Amino acid sequence: MSKTPGGIAIEIQGAAKRFGGSKGRVAVEDVGLKVTVGSVHGLLGPNGAGKTTTLKMLLGLVGPDAGEFRILGEPNGPTARAYVGFLPEQPYFPPLLTALELLTLHGRLSGMASGDVAVRARELLDRVGLAGREAERLAKYSRGMLQRVGIAQALVASPEVVVLDEPASGLDPVGQRDVRNLMMELKDAGTTVLLSSHQLSEVEAVCDEVTILNRGRVSAKGAIDDLLNVAGRTSVRARGEARSLPAEIQALMEDVAVSGSVWVFSVPDSTVRTVVDLLDDSGWAIESVLPKRQSLEEYFSRMLERTESEVVS
Amino acid sequence: MNRLIALAAAVFSDALRRRVLWVVALFALVLAAAIPSLPSYGEGVDDAVYREISLSLVYVAAMVVALVLAATRIPAELERRTAYTVLVRPVRRWEYVTGTWLGIAATMAVACAMFGAIVFATGWVVYGAPMPVLWQAVAAIWMEACVVAALCVAASTMLSAATVAVLALGFLFVAHVRADLLGGPGNPLWRFYPSLDTFNIIAPVAHGSGVSASYLLVMALVFAAWVGLLMLAAGAAFSRRDV
Repeated sequence: MSKTPGGIAIEIQGAAKRFGGSKGRVAVEDVGLKVTVGSVHGLLGPNGAGKTTTLKMLLGLVGPDAGEFRILGEPNGPTARAYVGFLPEQPYFPPLLTALELLTLHGRLSGMASGDVAVRARELLDRVGLAGREAERLAKYSRGMLQRVGIAQALVASPEVVVLDEPASGLDPVGQRDVRNLMMELKDAGTTVLLSSHQLSEVEAVCDEVTILNRGRVSAKGAIDDLLNVAGRTSVRARGEARSLPAEIQALMEDVAVSGSVWVFSVPDSTVRTVVDLLDDSGWAIESVLPKRQSLEEYFSRMLERTESEVVS
Repeated sequence: MNRLIALAAAVFSDALRRRVLWVVALFALVLAAAIPSLPSYGEGVDDAVYREISLSLVYVAAMVVALVLAATRIPAELERRTAYTVLVRPVRRWEYVTGTWLGIAATMAVACAMFGAIVFATGWVVYGAPMPVLWQAVAAIWMEACVVAALCVAASTMLSAATVAVLALGFLFVAHVRADLLGGPGNPLWRFYPSLDTFNIIAPVAHGSGVSASYLLVMALVFAAWVGLLMLAAGAAFSRRDV
């Protein structure tokens, strides 16, 4: 294992957890996951898919029935957790503490010196838009402010690995944009991010790779481009005054969308040269020619419709 | 050690801001001030009776605060999930429960010092002379409250706050009826009975000159043994629990 780019930051193998004894409900079964150092990895799945249980096992909150969990090469335990910052879904904090006291607690638990924590805490509170509110008790914070202070506590010890469970939950659009920018900043700084989220647009925008869980098992995993690009088809975007495309193209095209004078459609890869020439000869302006890509939402919906027999490990 | 101190400091800060501590202190102040005016206190009031009643008051106040703080702390942290972000730090489960207990013990020290100051000052004003021996009993009450807090912390790693409170009250009762149940030291079960009688020095403080330094040392050793045992149990139980 390596902490350098390309190494493995998080590795889960054969994770399994059943709640309620041997005849209880299977929450997670044979889940595997690898997150590359410096990447942003999305963990997706519908409610009850096993995302939170997987994260809890990784972070030592729940004891697994089986499986191996490693963070930067260290088996899960206090040493491994020293590398991690964690934002739980719907973070709650002791309401009678102030934001500064909360960050001081978390910094000191991570081994930071008191003086360093104070400086870092003020810097982070400023970064998440809570400058000037550090002495207020958390009981007075709104849901969005608690989410922001939660992000600050996750980052207080400058972790090499950040695990975020629904980080944009409870935030307004501006806050959601800030969280997205923050994740990109973390990535640029070489920090590894494991992101569990229901917001597929957010995942699609920031993640390099995703793992999709369904019914406690891994349903799909891989680079997001590999999952979303539609093999063998190319998307063409063209602008023209004609009311229809040349007949030869109409015979080839699928997924047609028209908006004013702009047409977007897909054609087989092998016909792209011919289609481009036909458009050009007919006076159409070609705006883009790109590999056809479905949205993560489309992919996710189709994947969930598959039968359990198609689930891969 | 730094993690224990950090946890204890956070628990201490949080606990000091809870209303229960200050409501109980205010209640103790009012009652302590009222003791000398009770009907049985006529001319020639016996200051020993004052010491006995006021220390009993401190005992009850300390136990109430200990129960409220210790029985609710961990169940509330788990229910509200405030424990999650702490437990994913490089913190061991035994450090979490021990740090929690240390924070409560520190809060109890402040509470007992406050209660002690109230009865000490009231006694001095009413009877015209300081009663420093009161502080021996206050220290003993603090130790017993801390043992009860340790029991609550240990039990609350597995049980709900309400169940823990009932268990702790039952323990307090059982721990003070050893002589009634077993008769005397001649009974073979005497040494193994879970008794807190060691900490009950209200009688020698109220009606005598207190206890010796060696007895205080024994009391401290018993205190350390109880707390050590309960914290070991708490750490072992909590380390197996899914949160």
